[in-house]
Amino acid sequence: MAADFTLDDVDRSIVVQLRANGRATNQQIADRLGLTGATVSARIRRLEDADKLRVVAVSDFSAHGYNVLIEIAIEVDGRPASDVAADLCALPEVFAAHLVTGRYDIDILVVLRDFDEIQTLLLDRLGRIDGIRSMTPAIAIDVVKYKFDVAPIETRGGA
Amino acid sequence: MTVPQLDAVDRQLIDILARDARVSNRKIATDLGVTEGTVRGRIKRLQQERLIAFTAITSIAMEDPAKLAFVGIQADIQNVQAIARQIADLPTVNAVIITMGRFTILAVVLFGELEHLHEVTSNQILAIPGVHHIETSIAVKTLKYNPRIVRITDADHILDID
Repeated sequence: MAADFTLDDVDRSIVVQLRANGRATNQQIADRLGLTGATVSARIRRLEDADKLRVVAVSDFSAHGYNVLIEIAIEVDGRPASDVAADLCALPEVFAAHLVTGRYDIDILVVLRDFDEIQTLLLDRLGRIDGIRSMTPAIAIDVVKYKFDVAPIETRGGA
Repeated sequence: MTVPQLDAVDRQLIDILARDARVSNRKIATDLGVTEGTVRGRIKRLQQERLIAFTAITSIAMEDPAKLAFVGIQADIQNVQAIARQIADLPTVNAVIITMGRFTILAVVLFGELEHLHEVTSNQILAIPGVHHIETSIAVKTLKYNPRIVRITDADHILDID
């Protein structure tokens, strides 16, 4: 169903408006684009129903108390990388996990409230996962750009 | 670093808006048992404090560049902020983080074809004065990620308050 779904120029122009202000009313968007409020409403609903669009509030890491971000590149040894990655994904501190090509096998982004938590992370969590040969961390000092308005969209459950 | 003070109403508000930002203030007010004025005021404060921002997330499958690459960059530390900003200006670069570790900058690039990735990394990023070495690693599979939690930067802030 989703495979043959195509966006036309009207859809795209509505998305542009929503990116700038996700809380704009249908009528405000309609006025800006020379459409009717009903058209805008129907178009947004169609995109959302097809799991192509979500208009959402994103919250800052700090709103969740996460003040420390660390990227860790992991080398795997003696175990499938997917299995090691699955164990990593189960950890609450692991915010993002990707299987990657190159010198390292798994790339994770870890979020902590403060540096004191790194001891628990290393000894009680990462230290208990088999197959990690090495971990090469990079501490985030300054996030200059973080623009992920394109992402895999989950189906809206129960809505 | 300051720890923001969020109360239970703020958290519920963030939860509701994270699912669907187009819910009316009136509906939120009814659901939370507060006034519309409270909802309006809270949203404004959370935006001003850069704790939330509103955006439209589109499905990765419908965009042309659909693959991710992590690019580790070794650059002059003396000029790292200016270099990072130059990299951030490249349109297909989605994230730029100054790091302490094996690289001075970590960039995330969205790409469609390998040759486009190569153009951005080996021709554009590597050509920036002060950039000495790059290592590109392509994400084969995303196993965990939450697009609702982000770092809200200056650029987002200006966009939302407009």
